[in-house]
Amino acid sequence: MKNWKRSSLLGLEDLSKAEIMTILETAESFISQKSNRISEGSLLKGYRIINLFMEPSTRTRVAFEIAAKSLGADVISITGEASSLTKGESLKDTALNVQALGADAIVIRHSSPGSPLLLSKIVDVPVINAGDGAHEHPSQGLLDIFTLRQKLGDVKGKKVTILGDILFSRVARSNLFGLLTLGAQVTLAGPSTLVPLEFEELGAKVTHNLQEALTDADAVMLLRIQHERQSATHFPSLSEYSKMFGLNKSVLDFMKKDAAILHPGPINRGVEIESSIADSDKSLILDQVSNGIAVRMAILYLCSNVRKKI
Amino acid sequence: MEVEELNINLIGARILDPIQKLDCVQDLYIRRGKMFFEQPPDDDSKSYRSLNLNDHVIMPGILDLCTHTRVPGTSSTESIFNISQSAAKGGFTAILAMPDTLPQSDNPGTIRYIEDRIKQSSLINIWLTGCLTIKSEGNSIAPLGSLKDAGIIAVSDSPRSCIDSQIFINSVKYAKMFNLPVIEFPQDSYLSKNGNAHVSSFSLKMGLGGLPSIAEEISVQRAISVAKDLDYNIHLSSISSVGSVSLIRDAKKRGIKVTADVTAHHLILNENAIEGYDTNAKLFPPLRGEKDRDSLQNGLLDGTIDAICSAHQPHPSHEKNVEYDKAPAGAIGLETCMSASIQSLSTKTDDPYPVIVQSLSYGPHKILQLPQPAIKKGNLANLTIINNKENWTYHPNTELSEAVNSPLINYDFQSCPVLTIVNGQIIYSK
Repeated sequence: MKNWKRSSLLGLEDLSKAEIMTILETAESFISQKSNRISEGSLLKGYRIINLFMEPSTRTRVAFEIAAKSLGADVISITGEASSLTKGESLKDTALNVQALGADAIVIRHSSPGSPLLLSKIVDVPVINAGDGAHEHPSQGLLDIFTLRQKLGDVKGKKVTILGDILFSRVARSNLFGLLTLGAQVTLAGPSTLVPLEFEELGAKVTHNLQEALTDADAVMLLRIQHERQSATHFPSLSEYSKMFGLNKSVLDFMKKDAAILHPGPINRGVEIESSIADSDKSLILDQVSNGIAVRMAILYLCSNVRKKI
Repeated sequence: MEVEELNINLIGARILDPIQKLDCVQDLYIRRGKMFFEQPPDDDSKSYRSLNLNDHVIMPGILDLCTHTRVPGTSSTESIFNISQSAAKGGFTAILAMPDTLPQSDNPGTIRYIEDRIKQSSLINIWLTGCLTIKSEGNSIAPLGSLKDAGIIAVSDSPRSCIDSQIFINSVKYAKMFNLPVIEFPQDSYLSKNGNAHVSSFSLKMGLGGLPSIAEEISVQRAISVAKDLDYNIHLSSISSVGSVSLIRDAKKRGIKVTADVTAHHLILNENAIEGYDTNAKLFPPLRGEKDRDSLQNGLLDGTIDAICSAHQPHPSHEKNVEYDKAPAGAIGLETCMSASIQSLSTKTDDPYPVIVQSLSYGPHKILQLPQPAIKKGNLANLTIINNKENWTYHPNTELSEAVNSPLINYDFQSCPVLTIVNGQIIYSK
């Protein structure tokens, strides 16, 4: 693949436009060949991919498992809570053990920012970041952009608003980096305690006014409010959040008629978004989930292919 | 310990001791450990070893205001001997040991144990700090009188700060009764809880943060108010932000008794050093922005900041070689403190040495109420000697310690401590 030379995917911040487009186009080719599972099923035949999930995850882990299996790879998932491999062990030792078990690639989800980078310095197999603390979640960012492009076409010049807990969100960061690289205009919105002004230095527009955030937006990406962590310290209550920043029918009045709504899940119905809007035709939430498989197939395929050639 | 009988002639160096009105190129004789500017007439010149020291600077011995010795502690590899060796290599003739030992230095027994270790194996003068509050937990005042009797010369909860202002004020008031210098590590622990990096767009991008400047500045302001109220000096350790510098500058203008130091790492590096999640550059207080670094340099030059320290904190590599947020903060710094300080200040002034003497020798001795190690005829030599034209690259010495946690590994320096003399004896020679 001409534009793809990386064996690991650690984040979107460093990716060029050409690299992002390569992943998206590869994912597109997997979707259009959906009926032809047999040929895809041999692309990574004999590969052993280990999912090392040190933090709870359903959507991302399952999507990576399905993606790996769709390419013919063997996939083993190790989860933090279920595994004695990780008990009290340093990431370095866990990684060396996983490598010794014959992993051809490692997909890692971890609460510490930068842990996939650390892992990639320890092992010599591809490392795919499936979410590291508040840093990045590149596969989610890519599938969001993929889904946006299905709806909007080229995202260059398009206005995308990301709404909610930006401060602690890896999804927000990956989307911000990827969308800016592709030329979109990104607005970050939410309560002042969760959307620091410093994000403007990274190229985003920051607002704490919902109407201003939504009026011109071509798409709105909602983020899950992690109320178990932030209620009382970053905003007063879920009901106040919902009133001030939730997507409800009255808000729809000042949004563009055809604006798309995305959410990486899991949704708090009635908090970030009113239930009926989540289920409406504006919502691309389930498209995101199914696109997630093709995008992750593309990531695994591209990174493993580079590794094969080394 | 094997020591050399010192009869030595130091030729051609710049001797710098402004308090003694000394700043000139002049020979310095050391006979049986004592200093003379001319060869004593009854001496046989053959008994002197001559050292040609062109491009060198001889200054009064330097003192580190903040060394975390980790003795006693959990690491089997740190020892008083190792620490004193690193300090001597960095030009230090004395250090102040912080009280965050294990057990904590909040009881006379621990102090006596450390003093015993020092007597047995230290190459340099090591002064001791006691905890300001029990276990430095900020809940109750430590037995400062008994600790002073046991030998401490200052009190501190470094690297923590007493969060309860009433206990803090009473602790300082109590320390004042014994005339013990109080060293405050300014940090509001509620505001810096779970933090791992300076708050800025740079750290936001990396998914890090949680150590805002305001967590330090609120605490600096509290110390200034307490110092004013009690009319007693509080020394602020390891300040790191532009806001702290201006608060201290204003307080000094108003005649309030506060002093401050900055670490050499904060003078030479900014937050960019944590790029790639380099845990060796994870410090507390954190490395901040370029504006902060600039204000710290200016603060030293205009006298707002009184001292430079190493904030030496050894951590074995298995502790540092983990995820960034899980790694302990702190870096070793004794061996690089002098060179890094000279390099940093050289970008602001043609002759950094007067400020270096002020901030590494005069300032620390004054803050601790210790006599200045003057370069004076007949005095026992306590000297730090720097080669001002020696290019070298820093590699931590793995034989000295298991800890190699420095953000300055592979850093190129243009000056180097080459000779350290303590109580008339050469304890380090490059």
